[in-house]
Amino acid sequence: MTTPTPRVIVPNAAAKGEIFQVKTIISHEMETGLRHDDQGNVIPRKIINKFICRYNETVVFSVDLHEAISANPFFEFSLRATESGRLDFVWEEDGGAVYMLSHQFTVG
Amino acid sequence: MSLTRRDLLIAGSVVFSGVALFSPRSARANDEALDLVKQLTGRTATVSDRLHLIMPTDFPTGYTVPISLDIDSPMTEADHVRQMRVFAPRNPLIEVASFNFVPQRSLPRVSTRIRLAKPQHVVAVAEMNDGILLMTTTWVRVATDGCA
Repeated sequence: MTTPTPRVIVPNAAAKGEIFQVKTIISHEMETGLRHDDQGNVIPRKIINKFICRYNETVVFSVDLHEAISANPFFEFSLRATESGRLDFVWEEDGGAVYMLSHQFTVG
Repeated sequence: MSLTRRDLLIAGSVVFSGVALFSPRSARANDEALDLVKQLTGRTATVSDRLHLIMPTDFPTGYTVPISLDIDSPMTEADHVRQMRVFAPRNPLIEVASFNFVPQRSLPRVSTRIRLAKPQHVVAVAEMNDGILLMTTTWVRVATDGCA
């Protein structure tokens, strides 16, 4: 299995009050726990089960993911530019691993 | 008054369009979806055209079916969407995802990709800040099983 790699497309700046779009993707196989290996044993579930977007420490958007989210989970969502600061993107995997990305954002 | 052929044709087309508007298939799908939401949440949802669930009606693979959700809401403290949930009733595991929004901070609009095991009505349920559940469904036919 390849190491999950998160990517984010987000503008660097926006006017105060403006709506801006965020696109995120993480490379991840999303093993559903429904498949069997050659010996007939269930391949244990390993999916990204939570995605969180924080804007200066405040959660502004989040997703609870279940087995039916496609491999390499992709989200496109829209936020309001309120103040300059940092956007944090967090993906939580079954078993406790966490993948993160941060992005500096300027409100002019 | 005598009935002409024209009267009959007009009457017929009116009846026909009425049947098309309330087609048994979508009415039944909504009833089934309402029952499902009741089972899963213990609460009664209302079918609403404020929810927009956009998916292709035909898609070649069940592994990555695009889905876009959008709700008409001002997203103020007094009137906003708390959460939007997606269900695929004909999947081995019905629950697909829950999206959580924050008033003034995020728009109730999201796109992603999901797995569908077979052709089915996909269900979206939005929980508003006053606890009301709004629901809509859309028919998607996939050619291959995305959950195998």
